[in-house]
Amino acid sequence: MSYFFQLVVSGIVVGSIYALSALGFVLIYKSSRVLNLAHGQIIATGAFISYGLTVWANVPIYISFLLSMIITFFLAMSVEKIFLRRLIGEPIISVIMVTIGLMSIIDGLIYLTPFGSENFSFPPFLPQQPITYAGVSISYTQLMGVIITFVLIGVFSWFFKKSTVGISMRAVSDDQLASMSIGVSVPRVFGLAWATAGLSAAAAGSVIGNITGLNFDTLHAFGIIVFPVVILGGLDSLLGAVVAGIIMGLIQQFASGYLDGNWGLYGTAQVLPYILLLVLLLLKPHGLFGTHEIERV
Amino acid sequence: MSANRWLATGNYFTTYKEEQRIFFTALDRLICAFFLTALFIWPFFIELDSKDMLVIDNILVAVIAILGLNLVTGFAGLISVGHAAFVGVGAYTVACLSRVIGDQHVLITHAWPLMIMLSGCVGAIFGGIVGLPALRLKHLYLVMATLSFQMIFEWTIGFMNFFNQGQTIFVGRVFWFTGQVGRKEHYLFWYYALLVAVVLCAFAVRNLLRTRHGRCLVAVRDNDRAADAMGMHPGFTKVYAFALAGFFAGIAGAMHAYLYRGVGMESFTLHHSIQYLAMTIVGGLGSLSGSFFGPAAIMMLDLQVEKLAEWAVHFLPPGMNLATALRPLSFGLVIVLFLMFEPRGIANWWRILRSYVKLWPFRY
Repeated sequence: MSYFFQLVVSGIVVGSIYALSALGFVLIYKSSRVLNLAHGQIIATGAFISYGLTVWANVPIYISFLLSMIITFFLAMSVEKIFLRRLIGEPIISVIMVTIGLMSIIDGLIYLTPFGSENFSFPPFLPQQPITYAGVSISYTQLMGVIITFVLIGVFSWFFKKSTVGISMRAVSDDQLASMSIGVSVPRVFGLAWATAGLSAAAAGSVIGNITGLNFDTLHAFGIIVFPVVILGGLDSLLGAVVAGIIMGLIQQFASGYLDGNWGLYGTAQVLPYILLLVLLLLKPHGLFGTHEIERV
Repeated sequence: MSANRWLATGNYFTTYKEEQRIFFTALDRLICAFFLTALFIWPFFIELDSKDMLVIDNILVAVIAILGLNLVTGFAGLISVGHAAFVGVGAYTVACLSRVIGDQHVLITHAWPLMIMLSGCVGAIFGGIVGLPALRLKHLYLVMATLSFQMIFEWTIGFMNFFNQGQTIFVGRVFWFTGQVGRKEHYLFWYYALLVAVVLCAFAVRNLLRTRHGRCLVAVRDNDRAADAMGMHPGFTKVYAFALAGFFAGIAGAMHAYLYRGVGMESFTLHHSIQYLAMTIVGGLGSLSGSFFGPAAIMMLDLQVEKLAEWAVHFLPPGMNLATALRPLSFGLVIVLFLMFEPRGIANWWRILRSYVKLWPFRY
């Protein structure tokens, strides 16, 4: 039984990382309807910035997390300004391909740095001893990750519910023309959406980097795994991203805990999210909490 | 048609049949014939080493795949991020058969045109199945559906013992009328085989686009409700577009398998799917000539970047591998720049050049 609970706990840890990664993705989609395939690369960038600040510039680790979030905030904003701004109103394939191009560009830039080829790990700053209770253990870093996730999600929900900027972002996602007519600057909202997404991506990157170590392949893979998560949760729902992230984490942990090795199956954790994605797309494309807006052919 | 059969200037179509001809003027026909002859006979005059020949063969394989992808993404407007998986399906059809019946079996080595057709058909079946979500989904949901097909394909190949867990499965050397194709003439032989396949596929696509079904694709892309009202069946058309793309991809995959005399996972990853999409965009979405320019441009770029990286090695600190960085960087820049400044791709330059030449004595 403790095996089961261990899987639940690690599922929740993995799931909250997914939720944090999916958060930025949903933020961009929600306000500008752009499918950002480069999100994994932005996550990796945030993680590397925070590592560089901590280790090479000797900034205290908490401050470097915050600094990396701020830097990525402005980086993502300028990415939107340089690449995406021109493509407002272009066909969807152009927008998707630009984010793919962006993905390649960031890949290339990261391969120019040592991060592209080597593995790094953050200096430990929390107690190394895992917390163990009734045979179930969780490390302090993992616990920290879960807490950061929930704090950030709380902050973002508050931001969208209460703050003026958040409300204008919701307005733009609801109806661009109407919000423009009442004086919301739509391009500014798009920029802000990318910026907040960059911020949450940097947070996700720092959390992942602390838990799994800094490996570029692992980090940018999170940009692809968010697809099943956001579809399950509904493409434009923050709450959905959280719930679906945790469900996906649990599914993956249970799959690798119970399915792998039986019936000649291996690596099921890698494929189950996508099978689920395909099934969901056929049965319930708007996900658990998404807006119903699918057109039938 | 009017008296002037050689110049496009001053000729007007008076019937629909005239408008739908493949070659509008005798000059077009002549140029095409000349171009094809040149493609077939240049290896007699220029001797290339097998490395360069392999590059050309690779471009031709990609051209076949892109012809399919252009049908589904360019003409039918359905984004497919899983094209490499379809190519993989074709390649693994050959590979599986060679695993079951042995890689020197007569079916593999002698009946290879049959195998290539078979792979095309298997690809078409998979294309049709993956296209089924297109009945309900549009745009970015379709991106997700094809992406998940790509991921499921990668997992199936990578974790199943039957597929050798993504390690190379060998495919035997083929036989031609003159006997077994040896190591020396292997790439040259496949250049010709691929060239024939490309010409056949290109004419098939060109012809398809003149027919009812091809025009259906374009109509459904432009407005599927209007197409529905005009009596077309958008759902069927979409699945059909995917099946066609799968067919061409399957052919490309089988030829890839024969060309490399083996099939491994590393040629059919998500990265390749993205590369195929990039080729389509750089070449020009929804244009037949773009299907030739795109692969050539992207692959040449890759090659030049690699050369640049090799050359730059002397100036850099040791241990730094510039090629791994420059490749994605240049690739991404090319996509982004094309999308921002020339969304219609290289095919548009070609179109401008053509109309300039066509109207020559007059200004374009």
